[in-house]
Formats: sequence, C-alpha cells, structure tokens
Amino acid sequence: MERRQVVRLLGSALALPLLPRSADAALDLADKFHRRLASTEVPFRTLNADQQKLVTLISEMVIPETDTPGATSVKVPEFIDLLLSEWASDDEKKGFLTGLTDIDAKAAALSAASTQQARVSKFVELDQAQRVELLKTLDAARGDRAGAGLAFGRLKQLTVYGYFTSQVVQQKILKTRMYFDSYQGNVPFTPAV
Amino acid sequence: MPPLTYDAIVVGSGISGGWAAKELTEKGLRTIVLEAGRPINPAVDYVEHVPPYELRYRGMGDRNRIERYQPIQRQCGACNEYSGKFFVNDLDNPYSFPEDKPFSWIRGRQVGGRSIMWGRCVFRWSDLDYEANLKEGVGVDWPIRYADMAPWWSHVERFVGVQGKKEGLAHLPDGEFLEPWPMNIAEQKAREALLRKFNGERLITNMRLAVLSQDHGGRAKCHLCGHCERGCSTFSYFSSLNATLPAAQKTGRLTVRPFSVVHSVIYDPKTRLAKGVRFVDANTRKMQEVYAKIVFLNASALESARILLNSATPEFPAGLGNSSGELGHNVMDHIMGGGATGTLPWARDRRELGNRPDAIYVPRFRNVKTKHPDFVRGYGFEGRAEREGWQRGMWSDGFGTGFKKSLIGDLGPWELSLYGFGEMLPRHENRIEIDPHLVDAWGIPALRITVAYGENEKKLFEDMIVTAQEMLEAIGATNIRPTRDDNPPGLVIHEMGTARMGRDPKTSVLNAHNQLWDVKNVFMTDGACMASTANQNPSITYMALTARAADYAVRQLNRREL
Repeated sequence: MERRQVVRLLGSALALPLLPRSADAALDLADKFHRRLASTEVPFRTLNADQQKLVTLISEMVIPETDTPGATSVKVPEFIDLLLSEWASDDEKKGFLTGLTDIDAKAAALSAASTQQARVSKFVELDQAQRVELLKTLDAARGDRAGAGLAFGRLKQLTVYGYFTSQVVQQKILKTRMYFDSYQGNVPFTPAV
Repeated sequence: MPPLTYDAIVVGSGISGGWAAKELTEKGLRTIVLEAGRPINPAVDYVEHVPPYELRYRGMGDRNRIERYQPIQRQCGACNEYSGKFFVNDLDNPYSFPEDKPFSWIRGRQVGGRSIMWGRCVFRWSDLDYEANLKEGVGVDWPIRYADMAPWWSHVERFVGVQGKKEGLAHLPDGEFLEPWPMNIAEQKAREALLRKFNGERLITNMRLAVLSQDHGGRAKCHLCGHCERGCSTFSYFSSLNATLPAAQKTGRLTVRPFSVVHSVIYDPKTRLAKGVRFVDANTRKMQEVYAKIVFLNASALESARILLNSATPEFPAGLGNSSGELGHNVMDHIMGGGATGTLPWARDRRELGNRPDAIYVPRFRNVKTKHPDFVRGYGFEGRAEREGWQRGMWSDGFGTGFKKSLIGDLGPWELSLYGFGEMLPRHENRIEIDPHLVDAWGIPALRITVAYGENEKKLFEDMIVTAQEMLEAIGATNIRPTRDDNPPGLVIHEMGTARMGRDPKTSVLNAHNQLWDVKNVFMTDGACMASTANQNPSITYMALTARAADYAVRQLNRREL
C-alpha cells in the first residue's frame, strides 16, 4: 500500500492514538510505518558534462577519499544537481552556474600567469598544486555575492551537508544513533585528529 | 439527520482544547471536540526517526512547494521537510496586515493542533507578573493572582510530567517537577561561573520541560532523539495527541470531529446564552450546527476571537461578547531574538550522549529586585551549550584531508548560546478585525491583523543583546557574537490577549473564570484570555486556566446556574 493511500484511508475516519505499552513496542510500531521517502537515483539534469566534472573534482577536493569514502562515492555531485534542478531559485542557480564559469576563468588566468606548462582554460586541467592554490583563494572569498567565490562557498556547503547526511556516512562513519536510553552530559572524548 | 447535541463543545484540539476535553469528559460531560484540520495517526505521521538520507532534500524541504503554499509558515524553523505537514497551507488560510506592520501567524490545523510542534518549555508565573499591570497602570488588572493558579498548575504539571530543577526563586516559582536531565559539563561550568560573578542574580538553570525524564502516567520516558517537532513514537513529550485526548477518550464520553471548521457561535437572545456553534464540514463544504450547554473556545488566541467577531448578532453588532469593545484588541506576543553566542574554553575532551530537545534557561533578572531606569518588565533566555560537530564545516575555513579528518574526528569547541524572550505590553491599537474583503478556503471571513512592537519591547530587545554578552564574558567565553534576529510579531507563536480577563465587564471580555461577561456559557481558555504576557512561555498557564475554568463551569452547570 502506498503511503498516500494510508493517509487517505486514515483521513476518512478518526484515528486517535492508543497508548503503546512500552517504548520498544512504540518504536517497533513506528519503524514498521516509517518508510523511505527518498526517490530512486536521479540522473544529472542541470549540470552539463563539463560542469559535472568541475563539481565532482572540487567536491572531492573538499572531502577526498581517504581510508573512508570521499564526496564522489557518496554521490554528492548528484545531490548538488538535484538541488540545482528542484530546490534552488532561478537566481541562485544562475549565480552558481555563472560562478562555475568564473572558476574556469580564474583557472585560465592562473595558467596564463604560470611559466611552467602549456596554457589551459579549465580548472580540471590545472595540475594539482595549482588547483589547491586556486581553491585556497576561493576559500577566502566564500563571502562574495557573485562569481567564483560564491560558487565555491555554496559548493563547499552542499558538499559538507550532502556528505555527512548520506547513508554511508551517517551509518558507517558517524554511526549516528537515533535514540538513547538516558542523557549523559559528561562523557570522555578523544579528538581523533 | 438528528441534531448533534452534547453536553459541551470544545473548539480546537490543541494544547488548551485537549485539556478542556480531558477535564470536561472526566467530570462526566459528553463532549465534542471540533477540529478544523485532519486527524493525525502517530504511527504514520510521526517521523522523528527518519534519517535525512531518506528524505529527498535531506531535510531541507521541498522549497518550491513550501514557498508557494507556506510563505508565512516557513518562517518558523520547525516547518521543514519533516514537519511542514503540521503547518497550515497559507493559501487556504489567508489573513491581511498593513504593509508596514508584518505579522507572522504560525498555525497548525490538525487533531493536536500546535501542541504537536510546540516548544515544550513550561514555567509558572508569580505575582510579580500578575500585579504588574495594576502597579504600572498598564492595560487592566488581572482578576487572579498566584494563589488562585497554584493548585491548578500543580494539577496540570502532575499529569503533564514536567522536568525541572527547584531553585526557590520567588519570581519563577518551582512546580511539581520530575528529576531533570543533568546539564552537560559545559553548562554546569557556565552555571558555576555565573553564580560566582552574579551571586545568583543571573542564573543558569535546567530548562523546565514538558518532556518525560522518566516513565510517567503510562507514557514512556524520552528516548532523546531530539526531534520533538516531528512527533514522538513513545508519546514522551506532552501534547494533546499524546496525553490529554487519549485520557478523554478513555472516559467514553469524547467525540472528536476533525475537518470541522468553526464559523461562529449560535446565540439565543431569549436565554442570553450560546446554543451551540456553526461549522463548515471541510470535506462537504456544508454548514452544520452542533448544540450543547457550554462552549469552550480553544482555537488559539486569534482564531477564538475571530469566531466571536464572526458571531455578531443584533444584540452584539461588534461581535459576540464584545460589549466592552475590547474583543480583538490588545494583541500581544513575546519579543524574541536578542542574545549572543560565545565559545567556551573548557572540556574539549568531554562530550554529551543523547539529544536533549531543550537545555538551559536564564530566568528574568530585570525589574525583579531593582527598577531599571529605561524599561518595565523583563525577559529570560533559552540556551544551550553544544559542540557543533560536522555542521561547522559548512562555515569554517579549509578543505581536503585535514579538513575532513577534523570534521569526523573532532566535534569543535563548546558553544554557549543565549536567546532572549521578553514581555510585550498590551496596547489597544494592536488589534485584529474581520477583513471585509477576505475569506478563507471555507468561505469564512478572515482577519486583518494590525500589531507592532512598542518602545518598551524594543528596549528589552536591545538590553537582551547587552546582557547576554555580559554573561558570556563573565563566564569566560571568547569569540562572543551578538544575536540580533529581527523577528516580526507573531513569530514567537505566543500570541495572546484578544479577549482579556479582567475585573470589570466594561474593560474586559472575560471574567476571573474565563467566562464571557456577556454570554455566561461561553469560556475562552486559550491565549485569548491573557491580560499580560509575562516573559515566560505561556502554554502551561493556558492548561491550568483551562482546568480551572472547566472545574468552575461544571460546578455552575451542576448548580443549574448555566
């Protein structure tokens, strides 16, 4: 039965709660009904092939694969495309995409100023050291209202959010617990950094 | 169809309507609760354990839909991808306001009303609050005092299950508390530091909270998921749906009728009493009537007054029960949003386990012992100390391996935030009236709301920002950032005052028993009845007033005086 049908059926008659006998019984009951609301995977709809490459590369640079997954493998670029396609306002989308173009323009300028190699026109074509150099500049310009700084700021925010709210990271890395038997406000913690 | 006849009608199933239903049915009255919205089934609608990755936008909400259908409701943080369904569709529920006086009217129409998403902070008042109008010559004098209310607060607190710490403050009286959750280590240290600096005048205490810290009255203790506004599978926080309506249902005398949008109260000029109410069946769009000996209006401060304004008769051309001319006037909310956040230098090697929905409170300290030269009344702060975790990565510098490692392996420093809630004075010009050009989706005339904060509120707000920073500095916080949220009135969601209680029928709408002076079998026990706001969160006071008024109403009925 679809969720929508359940709601409609219940909507036709008074449904008052019965007190569950225990917390466990209530949680079981709730789990039975809580269902996945997420749709199946969506293809890219807003970012073109070049933009996908750029977004994927930068999000992976923000949260790279190490001994744990990086942004790409938990599908952060797809999440960003979903938000651009369905969530962002037209102005925000335009600002973001224009900012991506500006990131490439900055990459080209950096390349032009460099003496080391052939000229490139895109961020993805820079060597790793140049990419890091440019991202540092952009990281300092996250507060900009337009252009490359704005696009990077938004991309970084969505990368962090998309990464840490993904199923793999929530379950396997953060091991997020949904509920607790009691509140403890003074538990030892050793930062692993 | 035979006429629908009951002993009592309760309009609205939110926090005060649930109490009216419980008290009236338990005292033997066959009671119908008319609820404008849909029924809620906790097993389906409560989603507090749905993880973000199971939502399409990971909790950020279907923005285009929300902006289109809930442009007002979305201003409330709880109106999100999980809980947006508990807030009304603004297109179906219009109201107007002057362009220069925005008012954010946040509403929940469903069985349980806003008690499903409320803030759960519960405080008693003291006579400092009840006597303020009289002493300052503001508004009208409350017809009741602390002594009238104390037994009723106890009555409701025992049922609700309130956790809190007894502090012995005269101006914020202790209640019937369950053992509170402990403060976390950072809050504990902040409390101690503040005690040393201010000698108890400014105090950090545990939030007084309608969330169960232990099993209570057949409801299970809180499981600390931290998302009360999404519902609660264990019914551990207090709401109509989790507590009062099931209790009322147990009597066998309760009928809840959802999809019943009340239009007006039916007045009988011969008896000078209400006969019942008219409502629109939201599904059939047909107007129906229901009759009873008494009517409790618990539709929320603005809705209950709207019903009376829509109930004008030849005897009451300006709205039923409005011989005083005060119905719909003196609208108040609290003023919130001044405060500060600071970084605490301690306990980087300590963390908390469990997500408390609310944490600490700073009781009012202005105009308690000494008079402030610039303003009257006061404010309190809600707050907490927490370590931000990975979220700080959205705003902090850096990227790459080290950045990732710090977001996974460390939680960031403890941050202590204080967010002020201040009193708003009653003013006649802050009012609601029926907008002659506007009806809602059910054809019922809608409201025009004209409310603005005054000078005293603005001064309280500025002072919150100053004193929050002072306290953080005294505690030893660094990186202190002032908070200045310019919230329009309404957004605190503590709207009150549209049918104030008083001692004189010429200047007030309700008497000391929440009874309409003009129509004795109509009671209003939601925020409408309030003659002042104090600075404390109001819901537990509505609950206590409701239980008190229900007791009075049934005694009067039994003596055949209604």
